[in-house]
Amino acid sequence: MRRVYVASVGYTTVGDHWNKSILDLAVESGFKALAGAAKIKPEQLVVGNMFSGLSSRQEHLGALVANGLGLTGLPAFKVEAACASGGMASLTAFNMIRSGQIDSALVLGVEKMRDLDPGEISQALCTAESAEYTQFFGASFVSLNAMLARLYMYEFDVTRADLSAFPVIAHRNAVHAPHAQFRKEISYEDVARSMIISDPLRLLDCAPVGDGAAAMLLVSEDVAGDVNGPLVEIASAESATNRFSFYERDDMLDFAATKLAAHKALKSSGLSISDVDYLEVHDAFSAVASLSVEALGLSKRGQGARDAREGKYDCDGGLATNCFGGLKGRGHPVGATGIYQIAETYLQLTGKAGENQAKDVSVGLAQNIGGVDTTAVVHVLKRN
Amino acid sequence: MKTHYDVGIAGYGVYLPLYRLPTTEIARVWKGGGAGPNKEKAVASIDEDSSTMAVEAARRAMDMAEVSRLGAIFVGTESKPYAVKPTSTIVAQALGQHFVLASDMEFACKAATEAIQVIRGLVGSGMIQNGLAIGVDTAQGRPGDDLEFTTGSGAAAYVLSRSSPETLATVEAGVSYVTDTGDFWRRQNEKYPRHLSRFTGEPAYFHHVETSVKQLFEAYGLKASDFTYAVFHQPNPRFPVEVAHRLGFKAEQIKTGLLNPMIGNTYSASSPMGLAAVLDEAKPGDRVMIASFGSGAGSDAFALRVTDAIEKKRKKAVKVADLISKNTKIDYATYAKFRGKFTK
Amino acid sequence: MSISYWRLKDRYYRLIGVSCEDCKSEFFPPVHVCRRCGSRKLVDRDMPRTGKIVTYTELRETLAGFEDQEPMLLCIVQLENGVKVLGQIVDTTVENLSIGDKVKAVFRKIQEHGSSGQIFYGYKFVKA
Repeated sequence: MRRVYVASVGYTTVGDHWNKSILDLAVESGFKALAGAAKIKPEQLVVGNMFSGLSSRQEHLGALVANGLGLTGLPAFKVEAACASGGMASLTAFNMIRSGQIDSALVLGVEKMRDLDPGEISQALCTAESAEYTQFFGASFVSLNAMLARLYMYEFDVTRADLSAFPVIAHRNAVHAPHAQFRKEISYEDVARSMIISDPLRLLDCAPVGDGAAAMLLVSEDVAGDVNGPLVEIASAESATNRFSFYERDDMLDFAATKLAAHKALKSSGLSISDVDYLEVHDAFSAVASLSVEALGLSKRGQGARDAREGKYDCDGGLATNCFGGLKGRGHPVGATGIYQIAETYLQLTGKAGENQAKDVSVGLAQNIGGVDTTAVVHVLKRN
Repeated sequence: MKTHYDVGIAGYGVYLPLYRLPTTEIARVWKGGGAGPNKEKAVASIDEDSSTMAVEAARRAMDMAEVSRLGAIFVGTESKPYAVKPTSTIVAQALGQHFVLASDMEFACKAATEAIQVIRGLVGSGMIQNGLAIGVDTAQGRPGDDLEFTTGSGAAAYVLSRSSPETLATVEAGVSYVTDTGDFWRRQNEKYPRHLSRFTGEPAYFHHVETSVKQLFEAYGLKASDFTYAVFHQPNPRFPVEVAHRLGFKAEQIKTGLLNPMIGNTYSASSPMGLAAVLDEAKPGDRVMIASFGSGAGSDAFALRVTDAIEKKRKKAVKVADLISKNTKIDYATYAKFRGKFTK
Repeated sequence: MSISYWRLKDRYYRLIGVSCEDCKSEFFPPVHVCRRCGSRKLVDRDMPRTGKIVTYTELRETLAGFEDQEPMLLCIVQLENGVKVLGQIVDTTVENLSIGDKVKAVFRKIQEHGSSGQIFYGYKFVKA
């Protein structure tokens, strides 16, 4: 198996891009990534996206984006795994390069959310869940995560303030991130007083709705010499699935997919979780961030939120986590999120993170999930 | 109207929605003054309709009846969720009963007693073993109309079977009487019914109920004093009291089955629910008279005799009194939201 | 959706799940492979209609088509046989709910496609 490297990254800001279509966003991020390694001509385009069919009445994104980039002829397809679409697109391209099938790929995640009204966005996000037994009964994606959060608080005596830790940290980290959706600090009181969406979850417990696209060029070790900029190696990329609906699981608070994907990814990279010094976790909802760090073995069961509150996941002094704000602060254009996570890890490991730079980081882990830990994709990245 | 075999009630079930609108609320919004003729009315929640309430009442009746197979399901209602598509098939599916004659009947407030009459015929002829008759309505009055005080929601269901030691009451006699009388109607595609105010009294309610009950007495040699209980259709609290008096019934005979003051007029479910309240407390040997009324117009009257099985059977009953007393009061705004008064 | 609803009506109306012919484990929603023993011999089975609340929420931003029902209470119920089911809980308020509360299944209107489309019925829960 050959080594695979991230050669360059590019992304749009995350937010309300009223003037840009799904293709405009994709092309903007793609051009930036291509410009970062001008000698590399990608042999494959992989697009990660969750619901372009619903948001833009547009499928066939592979060919659409390839044409949009002026790369007609390039093999291209879309990968979909709900909110893990971006991570899964990267994993797919990684495996194609690693196996020797191709030497380079452009991986691009994009989501256009704001063309829908709020009810339609909820509906679109909910397509990650069972149409027959979850959507049918009116359970939105937020409501599922709210029930998960209530159970988490009940089982482990987690307080409102504990739950607020991840969102507060995320906003603090996003302040200096030029591409972040929310560059404004929030306090514990702000979270506790924000509007209830689905109790116990409040507005500031939930990742925002936003448009965005992120892209990266992946190359094999055989063509890495053509890249001028710094390289980050994708040491491994693995995924796993859990029982489809979280209420079908014997232990609803066990993020088994994350556990399994992380275990496999660390094993195949020859590293252990203690080697990881930069972390991107899928903090779509406050309790999901906590359950994720627990599943990764970084916090004990029921301790994730409290550990965050005590500074364990601070970018300055803790295990540097989501230092551009994560899904909560940078934003969560669903199908693009997994690529933003890897792109941001690339920036951290190459020392290009500017004001968001975490100190002395060399091994990064990015966890991207679809559904309520129904699909998990974990990438381990190493500074070259 | 006589049957070849004796027919009895194998089980009954009532459903009342949780919510009550005090009529003072209607007066506050529209009429001024105090309460309407009834104190409160039962209001179906936003996710309830005649199908859902019919299923709930039917499940209770089936629990009590303990019969495995039905031969017919008739749903009597004037508030069908679909103008075209039967409610009875929804009930059949929910009960898992598919080899049944299923149909919806409409005759204003007397569709359920019609259903009882028809099923009595099917069972009594030997054509089917057991049949289910349901009366259900989510009655609607035009906001501000006098009718709005009384229009309530509820369901009552009866499983009729050939008389046996398992039937809790025997239908001893039954008559039906109709004329073409336009006292109350709703045209196709109209949301709310119209009525001719005072005309709904003498020429409509009183004439038809009195005639059917007198016919029942005459045909079967019965009189008011033969009955321990009598139940009349109750469009308001006053009419059943007045008609009972005219027919020679005393106040204590109609007290148990008179539910309008607490829940309003549940239309097709009105007199059947009154009967259920009686069966909740009747003793073996008691005779019960029930007379319905439906605008348009007609009345069915029945004489029933309660059997020894009542004591055992009603251990499974969800009592009408309990359903009435367990309630949550709502204001006019919530009622308007629940019943789509202003949003649809 | 009218057709997928039609296909599922017994699941929605009667809470019919499946039972494994080999190890007797029960599942709702139905599965194609037994989660316990891996058997593919699964037969329809009525689920118990009572259980207790495992977790719940009051949803204030409903999905399209459910706006009239805002705020909507949702819960996950563990039925008497251990199977967990998601559904709405009605005829109560969030203040009156606690984890562990006993509930029973009822038949309610789930959603309707406007005033001219079909009406979809199914199970919800009320406090027992």
